[in-house]
Amino acid sequence: MIRIKGKAVSPGIAMGRAQLYNFEKEVIRAENIGEKSVEKEIWRLENAVKKSRAQLKKINLGLQKIMGKDAAFIIETQYLLLKDSHLLDEIRGTIQNKLVKAEWAIKQVEKKYLEIFHTIPDLSFKAKSNDISDVLNRLIANLKKGGPAAAAQQPGQVILVADDITPSEAATLMSNKRLLGLVLNKGGETSHTVILARTLGIPAILDTVNATDSIFSGDTLALDSVSSEVIVQPTPAVAEEITEKIEKFRQYKEQLKNLSQLPELTRDLHQFHLYANIELPFESEIVQSYGAKGIGLFRTEFLYLDSKMSISEEEQYLIYKNIAKNIFPHPLVIRTYDLGRDKSDPQAPRREENPSLGMMAVRLFLKDREPFKIQIKAIMRANSSGNIRILFPMITEIEEIRAIKEIMAEAKKELQRAGTFPKKDVKAGIMLEIPAAVRLIRHLGHDIDFFSVGSNDLIQYLLAVDRNNSDVSYLFSPYHPAFIHILKEIRTEVDRIGKEVTICGEMAGQPVPALMLLGMGFTNFSMNAMAIAEIKRVFTQIHYARLRKVVGHLDRFSSRTEIEAFLNTELLKLYPELLQRSQGSV
Amino acid sequence: MIEKTQLIHNKLGLHARAAAKLSHLANLFTSDIYLIYNEDKVNAKSLLGILTLAASVGNEIILQASGGDEQEAITAIGDLFDRKFDEES
Repeated sequence: MIRIKGKAVSPGIAMGRAQLYNFEKEVIRAENIGEKSVEKEIWRLENAVKKSRAQLKKINLGLQKIMGKDAAFIIETQYLLLKDSHLLDEIRGTIQNKLVKAEWAIKQVEKKYLEIFHTIPDLSFKAKSNDISDVLNRLIANLKKGGPAAAAQQPGQVILVADDITPSEAATLMSNKRLLGLVLNKGGETSHTVILARTLGIPAILDTVNATDSIFSGDTLALDSVSSEVIVQPTPAVAEEITEKIEKFRQYKEQLKNLSQLPELTRDLHQFHLYANIELPFESEIVQSYGAKGIGLFRTEFLYLDSKMSISEEEQYLIYKNIAKNIFPHPLVIRTYDLGRDKSDPQAPRREENPSLGMMAVRLFLKDREPFKIQIKAIMRANSSGNIRILFPMITEIEEIRAIKEIMAEAKKELQRAGTFPKKDVKAGIMLEIPAAVRLIRHLGHDIDFFSVGSNDLIQYLLAVDRNNSDVSYLFSPYHPAFIHILKEIRTEVDRIGKEVTICGEMAGQPVPALMLLGMGFTNFSMNAMAIAEIKRVFTQIHYARLRKVVGHLDRFSSRTEIEAFLNTELLKLYPELLQRSQGSV
Repeated sequence: MIEKTQLIHNKLGLHARAAAKLSHLANLFTSDIYLIYNEDKVNAKSLLGILTLAASVGNEIILQASGGDEQEAITAIGDLFDRKFDEES
């Protein structure tokens, strides 16, 4: 038995047979054929093309079932490439002129195009070479008698182990119901693969670096997202332990499902509201089943980056409108592009010495207004149902709000001229992420309708600490007394001007920090949909009045360790059972 | 055979979606249609061919068509470029 550590990106526990996928890449050799065989090779090629087209179509359909129409962009280019008769003519020509097998001809054509694409400096063209390789390798796999030896075609349920998988592979493997779990050497927390795994409730451990070296197909694997590890060939005792955990996790999920039906009230009938943060449009179809009463934060960066910045007003309008419809009558808060910093924006003008103090979010767009205005127009236009709100990130000063208001007015005028402005004005809010904005709440509040606290960034900018830097990340704490002070200031100042505020950073989805916020008087929380049920379980079991008292004592402490210890002890005294580490939380 | 010089207006140039629209349109005509850019000449009916041009905004390319419907082809394709491939509003 060995244990391999990784990063759990989709919660759950699973045990089953390992299936190595796509790991040993086949070496294709040049094999000459006689002229008589040319016809046969071309026939094989044409068959493989037919099969590949049918497969891509099926993948697309499967994807649409779980993701809606937005699925198309994942494999659109590949499908189009297969329909390109010139690409196929070129492969045919290579078979005829060089007298080689279809496999080798495909490889030659792939090589030629990869070379061309690698000389192109523009990154968005370069990325296309992945699509070309993906689709040509599918062709090669389909030349074999049995077709691609995908795990999807193995009998029984398996845990898939691979170096990395392409979006089209992930979609095929996950949309059939045979996948028990996923283990990948590589990482990427926001990849489409991860989002699919979470949506479908398939546990996934990534970043295992070299799991494919120590796991063989057919090995028994246990996958545990709580400990973030993969256990290879568990001993009988460990296997039994895992089986128990799986059953407990199942019961736990069942219990959480029931929770989503409960009203959002503490035991002493204090009202709270739980919303979901989403990144991809299709998530809006499922968040309500996790208990979300609206979307508190729709991050739109992916729309922008996935479309290589070309997304039109019309396309965005349709996406926003559809999400608003899915979540109606609950609210949908759309945050405008929060680009820059680590968001890997290929458009980023140049390397900055201090990206998190540089050109980002609203700052970028006040310089180049066009894409920003298109987004604002699309959001305004989509609001015919009246439940859409718009949220602007990274606000530092009032001039920014004035400039935004100007753009909004222009956008409204243009829509009215085009006859596409719905009667309802969209409410506008800002993120409180930069401490300066907190100090200005009463001024900023004149021109805007609501606030949203991005707790991760607010902590980072308040404490001057990068939480991804392991040397200083210990300082990144929601219990830092200065941060607690600023939270109280937010509550007081926002109340003074009679506006609303929602907490939407990571702490909103963590039980103890969220309880602290609730005790401070915050009532709106927006979080990863997976966390909602757990927060609801905790909130519905406590008394607001008692919590308030506990939190009232926090002023006495001057250190984050004291505050954290005090909260944990007091909560344990009041509710001994409440915070036993819940099974399966990531 | 007729030729037309065409300016690329859309911000992203001939990227995948635009190239797909272009090759789809070109395939509706019986004429032979080519794009010429930087001494490269590619068949306008081939998506992959168009992609290899990597032509971007502000560049000029030459549309060339020869065949029974060459005039219609050049007009329709020129129009697609001028409409910025319907991708910007």
